[in-house]
Amino acid sequence: MFTTNPFLPLSEFVSPAVMQGYVVLMALAVAVGTAFDLLHDRKFEFFLRDRKRRKAAAQRQLGGADMAAIAAKTLAHDVATFGEFCNRQRRISHVLMFYGFVLYLLTTIALIFVYPADTSTPAVLPLLWNLGALMTLLGGYWFFFLLRVNVVHDGQPPWRLVRADLFIVTLLASVSFALLFELAAMAGNPAATGLCAGLYILFTTALFVSVPWSKFAHMFYKPVVAFQRRVEEADGSSDLPSPTGGERCPPSHT
Amino acid sequence: MPTFTYMTRCDGCGECVDICPSDIMHIDPVYRRSYNVEPNFCWECYSCVKACPQHAIDVRGFADFAPLGHSVRVLREEKMGTISWKIRYRDGRVKEFTFPIRTTPWGSIKPPSDYAAPDANALGSQMLAHEPTALGVEMLPTLPVLDKKEV
Ligand code: SF4
Ligand code: SF4
Repeated sequence: MFTTNPFLPLSEFVSPAVMQGYVVLMALAVAVGTAFDLLHDRKFEFFLRDRKRRKAAAQRQLGGADMAAIAAKTLAHDVATFGEFCNRQRRISHVLMFYGFVLYLLTTIALIFVYPADTSTPAVLPLLWNLGALMTLLGGYWFFFLLRVNVVHDGQPPWRLVRADLFIVTLLASVSFALLFELAAMAGNPAATGLCAGLYILFTTALFVSVPWSKFAHMFYKPVVAFQRRVEEADGSSDLPSPTGGERCPPSHT
Repeated sequence: MPTFTYMTRCDGCGECVDICPSDIMHIDPVYRRSYNVEPNFCWECYSCVKACPQHAIDVRGFADFAPLGHSVRVLREEKMGTISWKIRYRDGRVKEFTFPIRTTPWGSIKPPSDYAAPDANALGSQMLAHEPTALGVEMLPTLPVLDKKEV
């Protein structure tokens, strides 16, 4: 139970080589989609322009060591623990979703590339795969039903979907159907297994191919902005008054 | 001077949506970031500017009297009880100043739903709902009742 390779039943529909090719294609789709988003939405231009503005307004020159220290701080605080969020619930839900998804993704890659159609998969891999999926779903459904800003603050019902929901909906659907597929295969129901496998592939493809239209790329942009913000604080080009008490998030928002 | 949001700074938390008295800070359905849907109707109260925990909201002058290119950024330090402003002009000059927070503490104002519903007779009263309690006084001064014959 939950210790066998969940992709074994999938090998009845497609060969391991096809599965591996599919993973490579999806990785390419994310790279191309993000590049398209950077150029088409002129985000790249924006980042360059902002860099120029910052350079002109800088009061100090930062050396390589300073930049490395800022990068380390950004990684340790803003990326690893989502320190940019002031709202604790949003922060925890994002931690769950992010680490869950990364764990799920890495174990998926390991299972498909190292142990395709292999019944001797080490039990820890499928266990971690299930754990990652559950963490993603826990954080994701919590965010979807209780934390989405248009639901909480704009007063819209949770079932009203807009384009900004494309990412979270495809992510939740993809991971949910992955688990359902695993359960259906375990229960030995071929019809349900086939159906869940189809929906799993459908939503997974939608998740990775829709990058230019979804919020997928915000995973990459947010760390860049957090880094930029720290650099601005350090070189004196920041537009913000510097906190005297070191307080960034107002206590009433945490 | 109405407000606008830096999309890269905003994380879509909705604090500005909640606080805007004109209900014009809304959430963009594509990026799930806030934006001012009706700059013309902005009261320029700057509640959203001060409330935004990401300091993602800036203030824009109307083009007819304030040339664009400046920035007005705010930092609310609740524990210190201060609001600091930093204005960067287009020519590079920077002005910074700090004001004490003079309003009631954040979250301390009771919403109307926390008060008992007034009874129907209150409709005939000259007092508004929750008065005089909400004003923090024992009673409101009233005009002396006029004698009918005097009218
Ligand atoms: S300044 Fe005041 S009225 Fe204008 S958008 Fe912000 S909260 Fe609303
Ligand atoms: S309060 Fe700030 S971070 Fe939150 S939605 Fe508004 S602009 Fe974005």
